[in-house]
Amino acid sequence: MSLAIPRDRPAGGSLPEPPAGAAGSRRLNQVRAFVRRHRLAPYLMLAPALAGIGLVLLWPLAQVAVYSFQNYGLPQITGAAPTQWIGGSNFTQVFADAEFWLSLRITVLFAAVVVPLTLIAGTLVGLLLNQLGRKMAAVVSTAALLAWAIPPVSATVLFYWLFDPDGGLVDWTLSRLPHWLVGNTNWAGFNWTTTGALQAYTVLTVLVVWQSFPFIAVTVLAGLKTVPHELYEAARVDGASPVRIFSSITFPLLKPIFLVLLLLSVIWDFNVFTQSFIITGFPGNRDEFNLSLYIYDKGFQFPPSYGLGGALALIFTVILLIVTVGYVRSSVRQGALT
Amino acid sequence: MNLSRAAVAIGAAVAVAGAAAGCGSSSSSSNASAAPAKLVVWRMGASVPSQVTWMNGVVAQFHKQFPQFKTTKVVVDWIPWGNRVTDWTNALTSGKGGPDITELGNTDTPGIASQGALAGISSQVKAWSSGSSIIPGNLANDTVGGTTFAVPWFGGVRGVWYRKDQFAKAGITAPPTTWAQLVADAKLLMKKYPGTFGLGAPSDYTNAIVSFIWGAGGQVAVQQGGQWKAELNSPASEAGIKFYADLFLTQHVSPSKYIGQTELGAPGATSGGSDEDFAKGTLDMYVDGPWAKASLTAVSTKYASQWASFPIPSQNGPNPAPAFAGGSDLGVWAKSPNQAAAWDLVTVMDSPANATTFANAQGFFPEFTTALSGGGYSSSPLLSGFAKAAGFTQISPLNSKNWATADATDAIIPTMMKALMQGAPFAATVNKANTELQNVLNTGHE
Repeated sequence: MSLAIPRDRPAGGSLPEPPAGAAGSRRLNQVRAFVRRHRLAPYLMLAPALAGIGLVLLWPLAQVAVYSFQNYGLPQITGAAPTQWIGGSNFTQVFADAEFWLSLRITVLFAAVVVPLTLIAGTLVGLLLNQLGRKMAAVVSTAALLAWAIPPVSATVLFYWLFDPDGGLVDWTLSRLPHWLVGNTNWAGFNWTTTGALQAYTVLTVLVVWQSFPFIAVTVLAGLKTVPHELYEAARVDGASPVRIFSSITFPLLKPIFLVLLLLSVIWDFNVFTQSFIITGFPGNRDEFNLSLYIYDKGFQFPPSYGLGGALALIFTVILLIVTVGYVRSSVRQGALT
Repeated sequence: MNLSRAAVAIGAAVAVAGAAAGCGSSSSSSNASAAPAKLVVWRMGASVPSQVTWMNGVVAQFHKQFPQFKTTKVVVDWIPWGNRVTDWTNALTSGKGGPDITELGNTDTPGIASQGALAGISSQVKAWSSGSSIIPGNLANDTVGGTTFAVPWFGGVRGVWYRKDQFAKAGITAPPTTWAQLVADAKLLMKKYPGTFGLGAPSDYTNAIVSFIWGAGGQVAVQQGGQWKAELNSPASEAGIKFYADLFLTQHVSPSKYIGQTELGAPGATSGGSDEDFAKGTLDMYVDGPWAKASLTAVSTKYASQWASFPIPSQNGPNPAPAFAGGSDLGVWAKSPNQAAAWDLVTVMDSPANATTFANAQGFFPEFTTALSGGGYSSSPLLSGFAKAAGFTQISPLNSKNWATADATDAIIPTMMKALMQGAPFAATVNKANTELQNVLNTGHE
């Protein structure tokens, strides 16, 4: 991955020289000279991409920021009431709402459970794939990639059925297992999705880990292929255990990859919307909201409050930026960006 | 124009005169010189053949009564109940794709109207010959700040569904009229029918929970000097809330799986909840309206001939608990360019004759005092209970301007009931909900 801008090369070197004897192109030559003198060529080439990003990302973000200080909602769109600047009251309303803090807590706890589980499961499968013969590796990787390839809505509906209180496979199985194994709960008809945050997020944890470990496994496998084989041979000759081999060779060598995977997983698991929307039965169960659902509820549930939604989006963006800054910093330090 | 409408409505005898007057009204209504190519009507729910037939009849009448619109096509778009607010919002924010007429849940109307979505139709309703026979309280529900924004179309109340065969086998001779009897009967049924639950109590079911609050003499909120005062924590209201929560907590007549569910299952779902269990026979009694019959028969018709209803009992009887007066309204879309034609179509859809046919076919009640007192409901075992319940109704504060925020966005009562069923401390949970409710009703946010 190389995003470096070739500053040290003669700037504008990529621009073709004017054809010899092209009369009347003096003006063009002047422009070329200007571009070369000020080393503008790289920036000119970046300009279309920047304009694109500005249009689809920065401009909407700026609008969201503006809305977050207004009472912007339906009456303002239909003209039933005027748009007003209301200072920071959207933000104070958010911070004063116990449900905001509850949803933030659920989001953080969920990520704290799911990120390690995903990384561990993904790494183990990656290591397994590296050891397996060609046929079995094909079987395991196909099974894993299918889980990854299923669209989130389909996967969630699948899990919804598995955990359905009326004849779902999970409740059916649990109700047939002996009590000493699964406790005294009446599992037949156990409602996993709406009776509480713990139950719902148990399902979501299984679902999200199942859907996201394949990416980790494939990435770890790709990393493993780059580790020189001699290192492992030497370790085995020295009689090192598999755990020791992992902790002394694999992990240190793949550390940059693990760091990137860790940060990406944190960002993804903070953003679980589709799955939680369906599993918790949005919008009825507010005690099961994560931050994404909370923002959607405040911003878009009738009557929509785009101002409040904007304020929340900004707050969420800042939270994710803190994580992303960690990502970029570590990437730079590891040399991934140079 | 007013005169012509009255003439059309009353005197079919002078059809020619009516037609002429109709033409006159068309030319007088300013810019609507040409008949609109089409009128879009948003109906809620799923398309049902009987309703399509009914609407075809209405359109034929509309073309006959208003010849100036006889080339106007009427298009009905079916909006699932769960999508209605999203679709309204999208039409409002984009300014495009909105209807000319929309059906609204009657608790939607004040909130939607105050967002600027509906055209004010006060003068039209006043001039409408049938306007004066609409149940006055229901028309008041559609009036915000002195302006009428919609007309009631049909009404419905919830009651308790039960099975006659189960009652007979359990030796229950008359439907319960007090809470004590209700719980006793539920337990009796569970004993006679092992593996079933007696009475479903979903936590996300505001429109039924309020009946228990009212049935103990409590109020959700009352208006005092232009301000809302929430009363969830009054002793009477608390008795109703506690009774409902205890159906699961201490009486064990409702299963734990209904926690976090609506009467139709997971929020947003249309089946899989207490309705489905009642139809399958694993739940002995459940609270819903007569309109549920279509979806119940879709699950199973095995016990359909035994289905019957009684009103939700009050704490100590003998009168039933006030039922939430639900129903649908018809409103003219504010952004519609064809408001005059749209209103004319509304008057045909909502003529006492058409509204009564419609309501009867769907298990609803018409919104006209004349049609309700006509009777015919008491002879049906399924409808008699609901008809009795329809005599004891209440709607406030479910028709207040900020109720949508309190119930749909903030889900204050469902969240409170769920927490209670999860075992949260009673007084603190109810007090918290009460404070939130009072804030939302008065200011629009917690």
